Amino acid sequence: MNAPERTASFLLDEDSGEVKIVYSDDTKVTNAGTFRFNKEDHTIGNLFRMQLLRDPSVRFAGYLHPHPLVYYINLKIQTNNSTVAPVEVLSSAIEDLANETDHLITQFQEATDNWKRENDTEGQF
Amino acid sequence: MPHQRFPKVQILQMAPHEMRFILSETDTSVANTLRRIMIAEVPTLAIDLVEFHENSSVLNDEYIAHRLGLIPIRYQPVDSLKGGDCNGAFLPHRECVCYERCPRCSVEFELDVTFDDANTFRSEEELMAPLTITSKDLKSNNDTVAPAHFLSQDEQDESQDAGVAIVKIGPGQRLKLKAIARMGIAKEHSKWCPVAIATYRFWPNITINEEQIATLSMEQKQEIIDVCPDRILEIDNVTGSIKAHDDAWDMCTYTEDLQEFQQTMKKRKEDDDFVTVEASEDRFIFTVESTGVMDAEEIVMSGLRVLKDRLNFLAQEVENLKDM
Repeated sequence: MNAPERTASFLLDEDSGEVKIVYSDDTKVTNAGTFRFNKEDHTIGNLFRMQLLRDPSVRFAGYLHPHPLVYYINLKIQTNNSTVAPVEVLSSAIEDLANETDHLITQFQEATDNWKRENDTEGQF
Repeated sequence: MPHQRFPKVQILQMAPHEMRFILSETDTSVANTLRRIMIAEVPTLAIDLVEFHENSSVLNDEYIAHRLGLIPIRYQPVDSLKGGDCNGAFLPHRECVCYERCPRCSVEFELDVTFDDANTFRSEEELMAPLTITSKDLKSNNDTVAPAHFLSQDEQDESQDAGVAIVKIGPGQRLKLKAIARMGIAKEHSKWCPVAIATYRFWPNITINEEQIATLSMEQKQEIIDVCPDRILEIDNVTGSIKAHDDAWDMCTYTEDLQEFQQTMKKRKEDDDFVTVEASEDRFIFTVESTGVMDAEEIVMSGLRVLKDRLNFLAQEVENLKDM
């Protein structure tokens, strides 16, 4: 009766106006803000955190998944100075990761093609 | 753009059901994301709805429906021998525009086995023995979709049954049902998980301190080699020193025996270690084993595409935030 929907962990609840990302500025720390990613978990959280920390203009980046049964993460970012906003560093981090994934797709395709050519696997694939 | 990495991939071994590869020059977070996506977010087909017309078997409807759900359903595109990625070939049923279901978002299977009918085709000695209904009895309405079966005829011959056993029936019993398979991800239910195993290990960096090794006698060197249960070290026949075994990366399990034993062998406590074994932070050995729904390489590829789509979607959402 009170069981959550089967889709609760990955589909946005659009009926109740849920959006993917909600941003709020930090009220106490300058150049900082928290992103709430709905329907995301450690997969994306840790990926973004580690990529953000590679950026020298990021002073702090951390994420929190409050409980296994809540389906959102909070990602907090603080930048070095007011010229770069947290939204901008996040945007460039995602762009880097998207490019890296693109690169990985071509690398993987090449590697499997080469392997098949070198190891005569006729009929197997 | 300024902080992008350019990872490399090297295939170690590849078969339809299993593959091993090295992912290097990237971060643990990327390796872990790929692993987690392969386990939980690669879409596959699985039976999700079952209509029972007659069930006089000993198992109740729910029990059989659950068992049907767990049967791996393989999508094999026309003119292909590969278990392919069903993402794109099918639509997630919640996104499909059809009223209830249609061939674009679902595949129907019919199953109708009556003991007494099937019994007439059986040999004399097994005439009254129970009959096993298997996944072979599921008749698909789509030529490209069928329950996953044995890799080879040899495997089939060694097996007891023709397919995945569903239920056994006896005289007078019948099972008749219609099963609907849909596309989904393992975050919803683990029956949609395409992998049996998806793991990575860290590449071991084995450093040998030649200067320190030179102070040891041959017996002592042998002692160091023998203390490691994984046998990652061996005597270098050319130089008489110790070297890492060629397959050390595969055998290494980071036991602490070597580390502890070395302390007892040192002349002074503050001396450097003879051999250090450390986990690499940017090189990973992946093992991916498929359940049979699609080829291992397709699972990795599909996982990467899922990640790409997700990142593009999130990038767009972040752009929207900027405009606000």
